[in-house]
Formats: sequence, structure tokens, C-alpha cells
Amino acid sequence: MKFAPRLRPAMLALVLASSGLPAPGWAAGKEVVMAVASTFTTMDPYDANDTLSLSVHKAFYEGLYGFDKDMKVVPVLAESHVVSPDGLTYTFKLRKGVKFHDGTDFGADAVKANLDRVTNPDNRLKRFNLFSNVARTESVDAHTVRITLKKPFSAFLNVLAHPSAVFISPAALKQYGNTESAFHPVGTGPFTFVEWKQTDHVKVARNERYWRPGLPHVDTIVFRPVVDNNTRSAVLKTGEAHFAFPVPYEQAAVLQATPGLDVLSGPSIIARYMTMNVLKKPFDDVRVRHAVNYAINKEALAKVAFAGFAVPSEGVVPPGVEYAVKLGPWPYDPKKARELLKEAGYEKGFESELWSAYTHTTAQKVIQFLQQQLAQVGIKVRVQALEAGQRVERVESVQRPQEAGVQLYYVGWSSSTGEADWALRPLLASESWPPRLFNTAYYKKEQVDAAIRRALATTDRSEKAAAYRDAQEQIWKDAPWAFLVTEKILYARSKRLSGVDVLPDGAFDFVEAELK
Amino acid sequence: MMLKYVVKRLLGLVPTLLIVAVLVFLFVHLLPGDPARLAAGPDADAQTVELVRQDLGLDRPMTEQFVSYFSRALHGDFGRSIRTKRPVMDEIAERFMPTLLLTVWSMAWSVVFGLAIGILSAVFRNRWPDRVGMALAVSGISLPSFALGMFLIEVFSVELGWLPTVGAGSWKHYVLPSFTLGAGVAAVLARFARASFADILHEDYIRTARAKGLGEVAVVLKHGLRNALVPVITMMGLQFGFLLGGSIVVEKVFNWPGMGRLLVDAMDMHDYPVIQAEVLLFSLEFILINLAVDVLYGAINPVIRYE
Repeated sequence: MKFAPRLRPAMLALVLASSGLPAPGWAAGKEVVMAVASTFTTMDPYDANDTLSLSVHKAFYEGLYGFDKDMKVVPVLAESHVVSPDGLTYTFKLRKGVKFHDGTDFGADAVKANLDRVTNPDNRLKRFNLFSNVARTESVDAHTVRITLKKPFSAFLNVLAHPSAVFISPAALKQYGNTESAFHPVGTGPFTFVEWKQTDHVKVARNERYWRPGLPHVDTIVFRPVVDNNTRSAVLKTGEAHFAFPVPYEQAAVLQATPGLDVLSGPSIIARYMTMNVLKKPFDDVRVRHAVNYAINKEALAKVAFAGFAVPSEGVVPPGVEYAVKLGPWPYDPKKARELLKEAGYEKGFESELWSAYTHTTAQKVIQFLQQQLAQVGIKVRVQALEAGQRVERVESVQRPQEAGVQLYYVGWSSSTGEADWALRPLLASESWPPRLFNTAYYKKEQVDAAIRRALATTDRSEKAAAYRDAQEQIWKDAPWAFLVTEKILYARSKRLSGVDVLPDGAFDFVEAELK
Repeated sequence: MMLKYVVKRLLGLVPTLLIVAVLVFLFVHLLPGDPARLAAGPDADAQTVELVRQDLGLDRPMTEQFVSYFSRALHGDFGRSIRTKRPVMDEIAERFMPTLLLTVWSMAWSVVFGLAIGILSAVFRNRWPDRVGMALAVSGISLPSFALGMFLIEVFSVELGWLPTVGAGSWKHYVLPSFTLGAGVAAVLARFARASFADILHEDYIRTARAKGLGEVAVVLKHGLRNALVPVITMMGLQFGFLLGGSIVVEKVFNWPGMGRLLVDAMDMHDYPVIQAEVLLFSLEFILINLAVDVLYGAINPVIRYE
């Protein structure tokens, strides 16, 4: 009986639960707390491959260019640029009067030091391939830098706008070295790095000497990974966080109904599709591939699996990526699908396997929905969601194309440079078959390869647009994928918070954050 | 006698750990999927994957990796994490205490509640305290901890605002996770204690104690408890070992900065060095707990002898 009094408050609490007392918020002063979905891997932007870590790096690092809210390239630390007619040499005028957090000046030397670091294979940085086309970087004068490429690469400004292409203070790089500089970030950004408690959070504080006058508005920002979906919603409701991304689809309505919270959704450049291995029967027949596209009701897929937070794909490349062409959506017509299958000699249908690159619930719903849709036209598929290790072994690291077991493969992609090259080349060029990159349809079309090459070689925008149109139309016609949906981005924030948004690539923007 | 026994057991620990180390090394290297590809990330081409492979030392022959891993591990160096490039010892060290403290708190209250419910149920067998107690125990075993955790967060953090949701900074942070984690253990212990007590209450020495004219409380707590504790302590040891591994579910729900979440992150990325070190640590913990349990038997029941 001794322990009974301890039980009592708990019981009382259960009774009180329904009374709904107000929840406290305990963030003091102008501190913004942002709840995010997974733990950060590194504070070195050249060694990071997750959008989340790179988003946080934007607090203390800046590049020559960046993306605005519509994924358009805008100058940041560059003032202007000139490209040589052969498309090989880029000369940049840099912004003057910008200082690193350690007090040193930002200039041509900093650009050179950072690009020399990443292009040196001895440093073994994960973003090596983004910059491997850079032949050399020279500082012309303190505020002019010249970058020479190995091959013309018309998407180079987009590469420089990529969140990895930012500048670490050369003094800090020298002091801390290649590996340790990841733990001591020194950049030019609106916030200075305070601490990275690996188990809990990253904290940044206002940079008093920031070059854009009047910014930032808040004193500190805490980025806190809260891995569980429900818990991430809970910390918003309790006021322990002002912002949460991503928000699970099923929580959207609940959060919207919570006073003091806004649920926001915006367009994304995340494409969801199913690749068909064109080296294998029956997917070597274009009629079968068209039939698969006709068999799937993309509207219903968006509703069932994505709770409406997705739209049917309008082309090969999602709108929002530069040079995307609207070609669809592909109509839903199961009757046509059956006719095409009959024409191709599969009147009785066939059996196949559908793998998913992810195991999360949304992906599970997607593959089950696809299985059901394909069954309607006589295609019986066994579905399997691959765990990351299996995915790498069975799909991404397969050495010889003829050994690839992949048939139907549900996956997604977001072009991290915001440009058509990185939305097409890694996925559909013949040079990108696994294990080199991710052309898991094993698609190969000389016309598409040529168009991609042509677009990269030219400096003329209209010629480039024409080449990408050519490539996308051809791919749409050949249909090596079932073009499914483009996701929407879903996030929630406190009504007290403004100026924080999620961009279409899933990175968030918080430079103008303001807390009322 | 006892000291000799403990030393002997501690010496026996060395070959066991070596075998575990070899097995876990082989096991993680047999996992499907190329860790260099996983670490290099979704934008990396084949050349970058090779650079990452060299960086991680995975391009060297397996035997060489094996030898270098062991020679360094013997000096207490478990390498650097593939995911974060920080020393594995640092990664583990900063997560060990939160998990240990959470385990101790969960264990403490679940032992108290578990034993109390178990004893009451045994004493009042088939009467209402037994029915209520066992109903609680069955709920405790069958209620998944993520559901209990979410429910507690919803009530005490969101609605009442009494307790924080995430973090591990103050005693307040421990209340909800330790309750969630301990609920299952308390339930198991209650069932065990009841079964063990129910048997013992029929023993002759209990009848003798009662016949001596001892009060019922003294009979139960002095004569009953001592003897009933042996299987309960075995169970406690086992549960303690499991909890020390860090409950993956509870640590995820409460965003606890512990070993369980580290292990999940490590498995996702095939972070070999972290997995190896964590599994070794878990094995060591289990062996030590088993030893402690064996020693405790003797303390509780002097009839048990060590050889």
C-alpha cells in the first residue's frame, strides 16, 4: 500500500487529460527551434549528401549563387559573371566587403582554396563528382576569379548554386584541416556556428557583421532532429518547436486544427516513377511499356498513397526544374492498356516483379496500389520493398547489365542542381547504367544521349531548351518509366514564426526568419 | 571462495569477447549492400564511390581489414564512424550515460511496482487484487511501447503541459520515457513474482513460520521473498541487459539521445565500426550482468555455493 500515493497523480492526470489545459512554450527570447526528420551527418558541405545537413549549412555558409523560392539561380557572393564563347571559362566578379566569421576577407583566394580542395581526389570528399569537371581555379585579382572547365558544361551556374558549393574560410581550413573542419564551420553566412551536440541539436547565433543589412531578425536558431513522425508533431503542439518538416500526411488535418499552427504545402521537384528494365522481356516492347502507363490511375494514386499531397506527373522532369517540358499527364485508360498488351502478344498478361527503393509506409502503399492497378490489365506482380542494403546490392551496385535482376522498380529523384541535366543524365543517359549512376531502366537511345550532350555543350539558352525538349519528348514516347506523380512538400509552423519556408528541393530557407 | 569465482569468471570473459568480435566482424561484412555506395549517397557517381571506399579503407583485402581492426581494437581504438567520421568511442560515450540512466530508472520503478503487484497477487490469489494486478500486467506486456509513449506524450506534454516531450536534460525528461520503457518490464516481473510466490507460499517452511506465530507480513516478506527472489533476479538481469542495449522504439518516440538510436542509424548506413563496437559492448554488458546475478544469488540465499 506504500506505493499507492505515487500512482495517484498519474490517475488524476488521466482524468484531467480531457480538460485540455493550455500548453506552455518554453523557448526564450528570439530563439527559433526547428524540428527536422533525421540526424545530421556532417557540417562539411563538401562531404554531405543529405539535403537536410546541407540546409543547416546554409545558416553559416554561402556560395557564389543560390536558389530562390522558385528554384531560380540568384547571385549571392558573386556580382556578375562572363562565360567565354567556347563555354569553358567562367569569370566571376565577387561581392566586396564580405567577411568570414573569423574576421578574414572573402575573396578570390577563398573560392580557389575551396574548389581546389574538393577537386583534389586525395581529399576524398563525397561531393567530388559535382566538381570533377573543374580543370582549375585562378584568382585574377582579390575580387575576380576564373574557373576553367575540362568540358563545356552549361549547367555550371546551377552547380555553383548547389548547397554544397559554398565557401569555408581558408584560414579555418588551414587551421583545422580536411577532416576536422567539419566540426568547426567558419563561413560568411547570416548565422555563426555555436555548437553541434551530435545527440541533440545544432545551434547557430546571429552574425552581427552580416553583409546584408538588417538581417537576420532572430538571435539564435536551434535545429533539432526529432525522428519520430508523431513526436515531431507533438513538439509543435507543445510549443517546444516553431517549425516542423516534413509533416506526415495523416497529421496534416490534426495540426491544421490546432490553434496557433499553420500547415503549409508547396510544390516540389521530387519525381516519383517506376522504371522498367528495357533489356528484359516483356519490357523490351514499347507497347508493353505504354500499356503499363495506361493501366495506372495517377489521380487515384496521389489520393490513396499521398493523401492528395501529390499531383500526376506532367512530364519526364517535374515542373520547377529548369527546362522541364509539359507532356502529360499520361491518360488513364485500362482498355487501351489491354489492347496494347494483346497487340504485343500478352493477351493473357504476364508475371513480373516490382521492387520499391524504400520501405516507408507511403512507398508500401504505392507498390500495393500499383500491384492492384496492374492486376486489372492482367499483369501479376510480386511486390517487395527493399531495405537500403538490399537496394544497393540488387540494383545500384550490379556490375553487368545482363545480370541485373531488376524488372519494375519504384523510386524517386530530385534534381539537386534544379536543372534538367541532373534530372535526365543520371537517370536516362546510357552512360548512367548501374553501377555508374541510376539508369535502372537500362534505357539507351542515341538521340537522347546526343541531346543531353548538345545541351551541355552550348552556351545558348534557346538551343539548350530545344535540346532538352527533344530529349524529354523522345523519352516520353519511349516510356522507359511509368510516369507517376510529383510530390508536394508539407510542413507546419507556429503562427508566431514567419520567413521560414521549404523550397521545392526540400531544403529550407530561414535567413529572414522572424519570431513575434 | 567468492573472489576466486569472480576472477575466474572475468578471465573466462576474454575468449567469449574475442569470439563475439570475430563473429560480428564476419556478420557485418556479410550484410548485403556496398557500404561505400550507401555512404557516398544518392548523387554520387562510380568514381566518387571509389574515393569513398578508399577513404573508409574498404578497398583493402578483407584479411587486412580484419587484422588492422583487431590490432587497433586491442588498443581501445574502434576506428571512426562511416556516417559521421567521428571516433566510434566518442559516439558511444556520449550516448552511454543517457541510456544507462534511463535503464536504471526504468528498472528501479518497475522492480518496485512489479514485485509489489506480484506479491499482492500471490497473497490474494484469485481474489480482486490478483485480478486487477494481473489485468495490469497483461496490459503492460501487450501494449506496444510506441503506443504507450505516444499516449503519454499526448496527455502529459500536449494536453497538460507538465512534462517535456523530447530531450534528456533534467529529471523531468526521464519521467515519461522511463515509465514507457519500464511498463513492459514491470509486467513481466509481476507475472514472474506471482508465479514464484504462489509456489513458495505452499512450502513447508512457510507453514512452519506461520505456526511459529509470525505475522503474515513477516512471513511473506522475510521467508517468502528471499526464496522467491532467485528466479525474479534472473529475470531482472536479463531485462536489464535488454534495456541497456537501448530500446529502439522508446528512444525513437522520445527522441532519446541513446544507444538504440545510434544502432539504428548505424545499421541503415552499414556503419561497420559503430555496429561492431556496440555489439561488443552489449556482449560485455550481458556477461557482467550475468556475473552480478550469480553473485546476488549467494547474497540472497546462502545455500547457493560457488565453485
